[in-house]
Amino acid sequence: MDAIFKDPVLLATVIGTSLPFLSMAVILCLTRHNPMLSSRISVTAIVVAAICALFNLAKVASASHAFRFDTAWMSSGNIHLTFGYYLDPLSALMLTIVAVVACLVQIYSLGYMSGDPGYSRYYAFMSLFAWAMMNMVIASTLIQLFIFWELVGLASYMLIGFYYEKFSASQAGKKAFVMTRVGDVGFFLGIIILTLGFGNLGIPDLNSAPGTGTLTTGFITMAAMLIFCGVVGKSAQFPLITWLPDAMEGPTPVSALLHSATMVAAGVYVFSRIFPFFAASPDAMLVALAIGTVTMLLASTMAMTTYDLKQVWAYSTVSQLGMMVMSLAAGGYFAGVFHLTTHAGFKALLFLCSGIFIHEFHTNDMRVIGKQGGRRQIIPMICITVGALALSGVPPFSGFFSKEAILAALNAQASPIWLFAGLFGAFLTAYYSFRLIFYLLFPKGGIEEKHAVHEMDSHGHKEEHHGGLFWAMAVPVMILACVTVVLGFTEHSLQGYIMAGGGAVKHASTQAAAGGEAHGGVVGHQLLVILGISAGLLGIILAWFEFGRKGASRNGFLSYFPPVWKLFDARWYMDAFFRWFLDTAIYSGLTNIFTRNDRRIIDGGIDGICFFTEAGGRIFSFMQSGMLQYNLLIMVLVAGLAMLFCLV
Amino acid sequence: MDTSSSLTALAQAAFWITIGFTMTGACIAVFARNILYNVLGLALALTGVAGVYLFLGSLFIALMQLLIYVGAICIAIVFAIMLSRPLHLETPPRAMPKVVMAVAASAVFFVGLAGVALKTNWVPAIERSTDFSVVTIGHMFLTRYELVFEVISLVLLVAIIGAIITAGFSRRLSS
Amino acid sequence: MNSLNTYLIISAFLFSIGLVGVLQRRNLIGMLISVELMLNGASLNFMAFNRFLAPEPVVGQVIALAIMGLAAAETAIGLSIILALYRKMHSINIEQAQRLKG
Repeated sequence: MDAIFKDPVLLATVIGTSLPFLSMAVILCLTRHNPMLSSRISVTAIVVAAICALFNLAKVASASHAFRFDTAWMSSGNIHLTFGYYLDPLSALMLTIVAVVACLVQIYSLGYMSGDPGYSRYYAFMSLFAWAMMNMVIASTLIQLFIFWELVGLASYMLIGFYYEKFSASQAGKKAFVMTRVGDVGFFLGIIILTLGFGNLGIPDLNSAPGTGTLTTGFITMAAMLIFCGVVGKSAQFPLITWLPDAMEGPTPVSALLHSATMVAAGVYVFSRIFPFFAASPDAMLVALAIGTVTMLLASTMAMTTYDLKQVWAYSTVSQLGMMVMSLAAGGYFAGVFHLTTHAGFKALLFLCSGIFIHEFHTNDMRVIGKQGGRRQIIPMICITVGALALSGVPPFSGFFSKEAILAALNAQASPIWLFAGLFGAFLTAYYSFRLIFYLLFPKGGIEEKHAVHEMDSHGHKEEHHGGLFWAMAVPVMILACVTVVLGFTEHSLQGYIMAGGGAVKHASTQAAAGGEAHGGVVGHQLLVILGISAGLLGIILAWFEFGRKGASRNGFLSYFPPVWKLFDARWYMDAFFRWFLDTAIYSGLTNIFTRNDRRIIDGGIDGICFFTEAGGRIFSFMQSGMLQYNLLIMVLVAGLAMLFCLV
Repeated sequence: MDTSSSLTALAQAAFWITIGFTMTGACIAVFARNILYNVLGLALALTGVAGVYLFLGSLFIALMQLLIYVGAICIAIVFAIMLSRPLHLETPPRAMPKVVMAVAASAVFFVGLAGVALKTNWVPAIERSTDFSVVTIGHMFLTRYELVFEVISLVLLVAIIGAIITAGFSRRLSS
Repeated sequence: MNSLNTYLIISAFLFSIGLVGVLQRRNLIGMLISVELMLNGASLNFMAFNRFLAPEPVVGQVIALAIMGLAAAETAIGLSIILALYRKMHSINIEQAQRLKG
């Protein structure tokens, strides 16, 4: 106990990562019926947590070593499991991202969720979400990380299904929970294998394990692939993509948090957390690279057909996550982490801006919002454009820097396929982002004056426009926009910070990228920057040509290829495939067999036992003549004969 | 010398006569068809057993045998005969196979018992007291064999209550 | 008359003849009488061992008294059962009391 008060870093960590849990407990137990108080408690807790996280970030940056606080938890034979905190540059950075984004989202929710009947519940779950994610980030062992990883899944399930009276919302919650669970099984198997084969789940120990040569490459590949299953589930990689677009059923701030810093970031975070371990297995890295690429391209194409504001950003999240996985798998450790950071900023920004539109116009359809005067909302319109520019990788916004870093990492790979896939993905990203922006800015047929109707359906809206609630939503958005503009220029200091700690990381990333180093990349550095910018600009120009300019058809080139459009719109039939798979393989295949087993063998067996017992009873009941004396006679005879037998 | 041998012969004769009464009584009690003869045969056999107890040196037990068995139990059985009036019911004819089987089973059992009794080498205790007095029995009954005494008392109490309830409830149920 | 075996044979005979009665009589009272004979056989057995083998002659007598007590109790219960049965069936024939037959 004394140790906590002596060490300020530990104290800040403990306070920062336990306050949200306390706030959830207090809200659920005491202040559930007082929404105002509940929200104040929750926001206070997360603000304190954010301050603590910033303090820790500063401390870790100034210190030359990582902070680690561990206590033994389980020790049996060769297996030593510990519990504790592990603060290295990566986890301190991630902790800050989570705390700050969660803090801004909660402040934003003060406005967005006001008047909702589940206000207190919402804040309790948000606190749980933030608590679980923060503890996952600073966990020192994989098993501890897994526990909080599951808690993150639980919290996101409850928040996605927040409007549980809506059927689609509860379905979406279940879908998210079940699909991520599929990956988690793999993750857990990986942890078990590591426990058995390595006996130590400490993250730093794990990262330094491949260097010592105690583990075979085959073992590392197997463990890494299994853990990567968890990453696939959590970060919505191929083939478990489809839960994330459906997770839109939750309130928009939840989506903002879910997509930027917490739920889906967890997968990529785990990947980067034990990056040196992964890097020791080239096969696992290649699989991850392929999966990341496929995910990015699939999600980008899906985003080109939808008209739902939030769904576009959801698909873009998937594709950006795919990009991060690609980057990490290509050995671009810093590029992946940097993109995770910048993406957390601008994706939260995009979602929160969309939330303002949705709150204002009560619809998710970008065409309707544009028609009803979306561009008159000056603040969110500017901010969403900033976010979209960052997403498209246009300088000087943050996305440009991280995307360039990723392209550089891909460039270092031996095969040029990955670089071209990345460039194509960047092009598609810019195209669909600005398709959305132009739909909002220049609606087909101009703006319809429908404000009268709008005022009728919700009185009291006038105060809301520029009242405190509006500013509660607008201020976080503006902060995030500023961050998005500024963050990119910190690339070099951030790189120094992240790479300072880990010799293992540096070694691993050079090792993973070694294939490409030899021939110095597919293209030169200058050319790469030009290619990256031009891919983004090309996408914007194409979008302008089709949706922005006067007299544009506003259909998109895809509408000339109806089958392709249909394919993209139906999410490449992945949901249909899962449905078909469930129907044929599980329901009519396995379930049928199990049902038959239950009916025929188990029930039938019990029936058979009953039948034989009954039949035996009927047969033997003929011996029960009711003649006591005969029974006695047999008894005496047997006793006497036994006695004689013993005598002789 | 003469008198003692003639006394021994007399005792022998008395013993075998007692045995004879016992056997006869037992046979009457089992094989006679009239239930009253059975009771009388039982009384005869019980009296004979009391005599055998005398030969075994226990005057007290012999008297108790007469008192409890012949006096109380036979009377109770007679009482039951009067209440259930089996004399008025027609006696079914003897089922010969049943009798034969019963006799055979019992004969097997008897041979077994007799075989055990004859084949075993019975060894008496090394130190044996010859104190058959009633005072010792009473003393032992209230000290070392206290439990037997209490259990018998309890069993008798339960039997009385049980008998009353069995006889009484059946009346209420049948009426 | 002074040998243990004589008494043991007598008691075995009493027991067996009681057994014959129990196995063969259809009259419930007859069975009861036979049971008394069996009990007497057992009692006689104890008394004989008491006389010829036991270190203290008290033990067998105590058991004989206990058997008498049990016999009295048994008779009381048996008689009440006979009465109940008679009221129910108007008969004390054991072969008619077979409601429990399968």
